[in-house]
Amino acid sequence: MDGGTRAEGMDGRMGQGAQHTLKEWILAAEVALLENVDDTAAERFSWLAEGLRRRSPEKLWDLLRDASKEELDKVPELDNLLERLAQTLVGVGRLGETADLVKAARQWEVRLAGSVYRQLAQAQMRSGETARAEETIRELLKQDADDVEAQRLLYRVLRETGRMAEAHDVLNRLVELDPSAATATFAHRERGKLGEMRGRPVRIALLSSYVLDPLIPFLDVECRRAGLAPAFYVAPFNQYTQEVLNLSSGLYAFAPEIVIVALDLEDLFPAVRGMPSVDELATGRDEIRGTITELARELHAHSNALIVVHELTLPGFSPHGILDNRRRDGLSRWTEDLNRELAEALGSQAHTFLLPLRQVLSRAASERGHSRKLYYMARMRHSDAALRELARYSMRYVKPLKGLTRKCVVVDLDGTLWGGIVGEVGAEGLHLGPTAPGIEFVDFQQALLNLTKRGIVLAICSKNNPDDVMPVLREHKHMVLREENFAALRINWRNKAENLAEIAEELNIGLDTLVFLDDNPVERELVRQMLPEVLTVELPKDASQYRSMLESLTDFELLALTKEDQQRAGQYQANRRRQALERSSGSLEEYMHSLEIRAEIVRAEAHHVPRLVQMLNKTNQFNTTTRRYQAPDMERFCASEDRRVYVLEVSDRFGEHGLVGAAIVRAEPETWYVDSFLLSCRVMGLSVETVLLKQIYDAARHRGVPRLVGEFVPTAKNSPTADFYRRHGFRLAENGDNTQAWTLDLRVDRIQDPAWIAVKATEE
Amino acid sequence: MRTIEEVVSGVFGVDQASVNESSSPESIEGWDSMGHVNLVIALEQNFNVSIDIDDVMDMGSVGKIRKILLEYGVKG
Repeated sequence: MDGGTRAEGMDGRMGQGAQHTLKEWILAAEVALLENVDDTAAERFSWLAEGLRRRSPEKLWDLLRDASKEELDKVPELDNLLERLAQTLVGVGRLGETADLVKAARQWEVRLAGSVYRQLAQAQMRSGETARAEETIRELLKQDADDVEAQRLLYRVLRETGRMAEAHDVLNRLVELDPSAATATFAHRERGKLGEMRGRPVRIALLSSYVLDPLIPFLDVECRRAGLAPAFYVAPFNQYTQEVLNLSSGLYAFAPEIVIVALDLEDLFPAVRGMPSVDELATGRDEIRGTITELARELHAHSNALIVVHELTLPGFSPHGILDNRRRDGLSRWTEDLNRELAEALGSQAHTFLLPLRQVLSRAASERGHSRKLYYMARMRHSDAALRELARYSMRYVKPLKGLTRKCVVVDLDGTLWGGIVGEVGAEGLHLGPTAPGIEFVDFQQALLNLTKRGIVLAICSKNNPDDVMPVLREHKHMVLREENFAALRINWRNKAENLAEIAEELNIGLDTLVFLDDNPVERELVRQMLPEVLTVELPKDASQYRSMLESLTDFELLALTKEDQQRAGQYQANRRRQALERSSGSLEEYMHSLEIRAEIVRAEAHHVPRLVQMLNKTNQFNTTTRRYQAPDMERFCASEDRRVYVLEVSDRFGEHGLVGAAIVRAEPETWYVDSFLLSCRVMGLSVETVLLKQIYDAARHRGVPRLVGEFVPTAKNSPTADFYRRHGFRLAENGDNTQAWTLDLRVDRIQDPAWIAVKATEE
Repeated sequence: MRTIEEVVSGVFGVDQASVNESSSPESIEGWDSMGHVNLVIALEQNFNVSIDIDDVMDMGSVGKIRKILLEYGVKG
């Protein structure tokens, strides 16, 4: 009798409703499994297995576990069967068997649905088998690293087992995978329980006429992405005026570094919901402008915070329809005028900005908008998509305030600056010109060139032969960027991570100020692995997206654009010429003399403040105390009697370096304290710092002050400054936990100007 | 398309097995007024419906959500 007949016999008996022992089922299924040779036998096995699964899932598992590879290969839809069996086993609490099954499935190269792993992990967690649950989840993540639910489970395991740092990391990953408001909110709430993650603190306050609380989870996400650990304050609903006017309000107690002022046009001027007359509009505009500028003035007077005021927006289409912009009482033009007036009024106040809300919202508008309904439901104004955009845009203010502005963009060439591989198709074969394909690269180069006008420098890192590349850089008629636009070139066949490290060293800037753009994912991954401080941008596959990707980066903002920023690109070229001179000079001394350095030192005045604040907040290496003073502090110092702020400007035969050094002195009758002393990395090594210190020394001696004290606060980055005071004859007098005090006795000690610098100092 | 339980567990980050018909703001952490708005947005996106504000206010438990969604022709 063959197997088929035997099994048919059993089918027949079952059809008659007879009772069967479990043993008979197993036997039948075993036989079917063994003799599973054709389609009908396969069907028969499936049917038997299904019955066995319901009656005794663990027995079915025994059967499958012991089956050979050849037998299993014949089982139809084995993955499906295993998935259902796993679910049943979890359901009856057989977690050990389920875990075995999942493991075996991997060996058999059967891919099980994520839900199997998740259900098993959840059951394991419920029964307290946390370590096993973690193993299950990590297995699933190996199979699918982007499984959001698995990341959520992993987070719970990490939290329950007290691994807070890892838990923070998983939350970071989770919000990347699922950018919804719900997940951002979840992450923000959980971080409160986890305790603080490492990161530089930043304090952000929201003042709003509507419910802007939902922005906080998104801002939280963005801040953490930038390595910051934010604290937030939200003024009580619609109490922004009281909060600003009352000096004992929660706002001032919070001591914010940034205040976001988000007032809604409808809240400020309810008449805009209807069709206000020309006169009403004129009065309304004056009132709104008055209200907002008054608020900003009060805030500025009582707080050092950076103030970010949202632009005002119309709630929707004008009730005048298409006639709106032909009418004197039209609302579109009225809103534009109002925003322009606000920009002017706020622009005249230091440390105060108008956030271009309309641009931000238009970027989010392509996604599903909810705003009206959210307003009715919860007095909110913006959709998730808009909040996400808004949080991202807000980082353009946060990052420069916290000194996180990137300074240099390093670009690859083939596939990045132009289409095609120059070594293969030659200069003439490249995609680069006024029509597509090619116009997208011209446009991208233009955007890079625009960055150089804001003080960002460019560099090249390309695997190529210089002989192929240089003619393109110098002569290709459609290149927007030329050799002189790049501060450093690395065109060779070496590892890109090494090249990037060298570029940072050559330009004397930190690796954490570099942005790396390369179309090759392999190179990007290498740089990400080896140099995580570098911002390696995920360049879109489609080159026509390059420019908008570059423009959406929030890492290039400056709170004020100084002369030094605009000249920076040229200064790095001058540096390259200086280095050429250095190579040709016999000795360092000879080189220094040949540079013809001129230094000028003056007491700082109001017009120096923007550049001073920028230096105080960006300079990490040559910075004795890294005290991050803001514009209001500096305005106060410049005006005060007991603070003396000095600025140093340097030039040489190759051009101007601009304002590159500063010192803040706290003058007391018996002692002058050097509170801050900093130097731009561009002029390190020229001894110009000695000239600035000498000036302080002269001024103090001139007034008969007997003692000069240099304060030094060591940080991870300012080691180049550690021996600054010692080099100039100061003695370590106090070595506290954080602060060292170095003293110089002005009655006996001397400081000498370097012979190769021509000094011009003007002081009263 | 996910089930109501999956949406709820996803929005509030709780174990799906702990979500049942009587789950409500009292029993689920994070289901406050802001959480409710997030939940409604997630339900609307998941089931591709637009829920009236009256109904939004009535969605006080998973059971009630199921009943209301049925009126929109959604079997969650």
